[in-house]
Amino acid sequence: MTYHGYAGKILRLDMTNRKAVAIDTAPYRRWGGGHGMGSALFWDFCTDKTITDGRHPANVCCVMTSPLCGTIVPSAGGRCEVVGVGVGQYPVSWFTRSNFGGRFSTMLKYAGWDGIVIEGTADEPVWIDIRNDQVLFHTADDLWGKDTWATQQEIRKLLHIKRGTQAHWQNLDALPLADDRGYAEQQSDRTTQKPAILCIGPAGEYQTPHAALIHDAGNGAGQGGFGAVWGSKNLKAISVIGTGGIKVHDPKTLLRARMITKEKYVVNWQTPDFHAWTRVGNLPKPLIQTAMPTDERRPQACQGCINGCRSRYNIGYGNESACQETFWYGPYVRKIAKNSAEDTEINLKSADIVQKYGLNSFVLQPGLHWLEHLYEEGILGPGRQIPSELPWQSIGTLDFAEKLIHALSTKTDIGADLAEGWVQAALKWGREEDLHTGALQFSYWGVPEHGYDPRAELEWGYGSLMGDRDTNTHCFNYIFTNVSAAFAFGKPLRIGAEQMVTLHAKKLSPYAKDRPEVLDYSDANMYSEAVAQLVRWQQHYCRFYKNSALFCDLKWPDFVNTNVSNFEGATGSLDAGEQVFWNAVTGDAISFEEGIEIGRRIWNLDNAIWVLQGRHRDMVHFAPYIYKTIYKKGEIFPFFMWTCRDDNGNWRYQDLMGRSLDREKVEEWKSIFYQLEGWDSKTGWPTRTTLEQMEMGYVADTLEAAGKLGEDAS
Amino acid sequence: MIYGFALPSEALSRKILTPVAFKERFPAGRLKPPVGIIGGDIRSLVELHLFLEPDEATLPGIDLQTLPNWIAQSIGDPELAESIRAVVSARNNYVEGCQKVYELVGHRLNQARMVLKEAT
Repeated sequence: MTYHGYAGKILRLDMTNRKAVAIDTAPYRRWGGGHGMGSALFWDFCTDKTITDGRHPANVCCVMTSPLCGTIVPSAGGRCEVVGVGVGQYPVSWFTRSNFGGRFSTMLKYAGWDGIVIEGTADEPVWIDIRNDQVLFHTADDLWGKDTWATQQEIRKLLHIKRGTQAHWQNLDALPLADDRGYAEQQSDRTTQKPAILCIGPAGEYQTPHAALIHDAGNGAGQGGFGAVWGSKNLKAISVIGTGGIKVHDPKTLLRARMITKEKYVVNWQTPDFHAWTRVGNLPKPLIQTAMPTDERRPQACQGCINGCRSRYNIGYGNESACQETFWYGPYVRKIAKNSAEDTEINLKSADIVQKYGLNSFVLQPGLHWLEHLYEEGILGPGRQIPSELPWQSIGTLDFAEKLIHALSTKTDIGADLAEGWVQAALKWGREEDLHTGALQFSYWGVPEHGYDPRAELEWGYGSLMGDRDTNTHCFNYIFTNVSAAFAFGKPLRIGAEQMVTLHAKKLSPYAKDRPEVLDYSDANMYSEAVAQLVRWQQHYCRFYKNSALFCDLKWPDFVNTNVSNFEGATGSLDAGEQVFWNAVTGDAISFEEGIEIGRRIWNLDNAIWVLQGRHRDMVHFAPYIYKTIYKKGEIFPFFMWTCRDDNGNWRYQDLMGRSLDREKVEEWKSIFYQLEGWDSKTGWPTRTTLEQMEMGYVADTLEAAGKLGEDAS
Repeated sequence: MIYGFALPSEALSRKILTPVAFKERFPAGRLKPPVGIIGGDIRSLVELHLFLEPDEATLPGIDLQTLPNWIAQSIGDPELAESIRAVVSARNNYVEGCQKVYELVGHRLNQARMVLKEAT
């Protein structure tokens, strides 16, 4: 069988017995890749799907690629998906996911593997050394205790990889072997590439919640606490180097679609539109949340990406960090920085710290705000109700950042109390009131509000609530950012509200095609069937196209595009839509909607796992402050503009600040959502009819045996 | 821009350059696509100035209507507060308002620093 897009085999790592086994990818082909395959592998190989702590020995962690990894599909070739039971959520750590970029997934494909299934627990620290078909377990005694950067440097040293950018041929067979336990099917080969390494730092070794997996300097799988999962398995790192390639079914169509993307959907370089409304078609730009430290930079990108959102600088810090980690400390740094240059320097050096410790900085965005509040109120600090010897009076300094991250990563000082999660710590400290007042803004599942408040941005809030984590799915929220920025600058809107929703609705097939009302976020429509359909579309689209095919979240979908004369974006298009790339690589002939249907199947499998873990609709709710307090207008931003209909049915952009969610109406909305999904609205559990319709009768059997199969509506 | 306020006294200059207590902080967020709105607060004019410094990728989030009251009552500079109230009411858009407040605050900080430098 020819595997177009696929390497053809998946690596199972039995950590307990230090054995590596290859299994065929073919039985998992119907799940696409990435998340879908990972969920299916978890279902097959996790022997106890009731576990609710990712550090349990029965947990299975899958690191998965997609058929598109290693190809030239724009902004889809370099992502990697991680799934398994997570750590640190509340009240339950769900089967969850994370995702990172770089070159790990592509190198894994070049080495001949579609993914890695990590099972069991090693009796001492190990690292895994993959060289094409050779898979070796090495003792990691010398690596344990090292940060993520030092770990990668040490592994390269152990592999005799030369430093620097000059090409050196590496003969993979000639590289040193630490021991003879491993899997080897054929001889390796030669390459000038460096191995791609995914590893944990101290935060993972101490199995702290929110510990991340780090690859290269700044690619991280942050959410889910997978660093703690690896730490619990005594897995320090996986290094992979490969010399193979990816067979593409129809290279001509792939190239044509890529060229169409460039020529039709992407900003014209001769006459650049710096403020285009598009996702895939924006000008390449660094994704940094502070002022640039220097102009002396070169872009650094995930393999195959057309953007390059990270940078490497000539100043020696901040390399490859992007987005939130470049500003996790920002609100405090500006309290002590003398100027913008110092502000940038401290912020980027603080980014380096979290990367090296392997800690997800996102939790600190609202988390540190809460801790500072407790300190300033006289509750937290030396000799206080919540004892802490950290130098809170110097918050904002680099020294404090280092000490804080060290404490959180090593379970010392307040890190000891935060070791099971932040909401758990709040309850332990007797601070439940902070979940009601919003002093601790962890909106859902014990994880922080992202920056798109559920009281305003409905698909983000509902999507997170019905899922397993902060959704971190940027499908629609450029509506808010683009429109709000236009209002802030007093600039004309590139696309009016009615045209905006009409363009979106054209592409929201199958659930909301030509139903613009799904994007009406007004008070009158916020609990409607229409909004439930939008959330369904988002969840199913993402489960396949973003989490499994691994299209980049920051570039796809492309609903509207002002680079195109009729403003219709690339998503779902017949010339350069997601399914065009998928089919060209794999040889499939799926429609855009069939991709969504695969996503629905994956979403249902995930929900079945959550149900086995104990999920019931009664536990699916936001943090109390979302219902009890209003999203105050003007307090942290002047407006939150979104598409709404007025009383006469006319579309306009309207400010959504100044409201809360109604608990009873959210419950009604949940019932609608469950019914649309074909789930039992009394429990939120999937029904046999729904599962069998997707050829998942075996899942229904398992749920029935566990007494957790939903009842079909009579 | 012509700044219509007089040099601050030495006492006022010290106030201008001194952070207020935590309880008197002023809410201030930042829109940073694609992260979203990041909350925070302001506790001094020095910090406000850094916060409002324009950059290409993000927007400050602050309530320009209530800011003058905070500057008058918590910082203790009614003259600066009045000037800010005037530029905010005359602004064409929110970002322009932020930029003008940034310039006013920067000028006031320079005045305060100069007064204190001369006093020493």
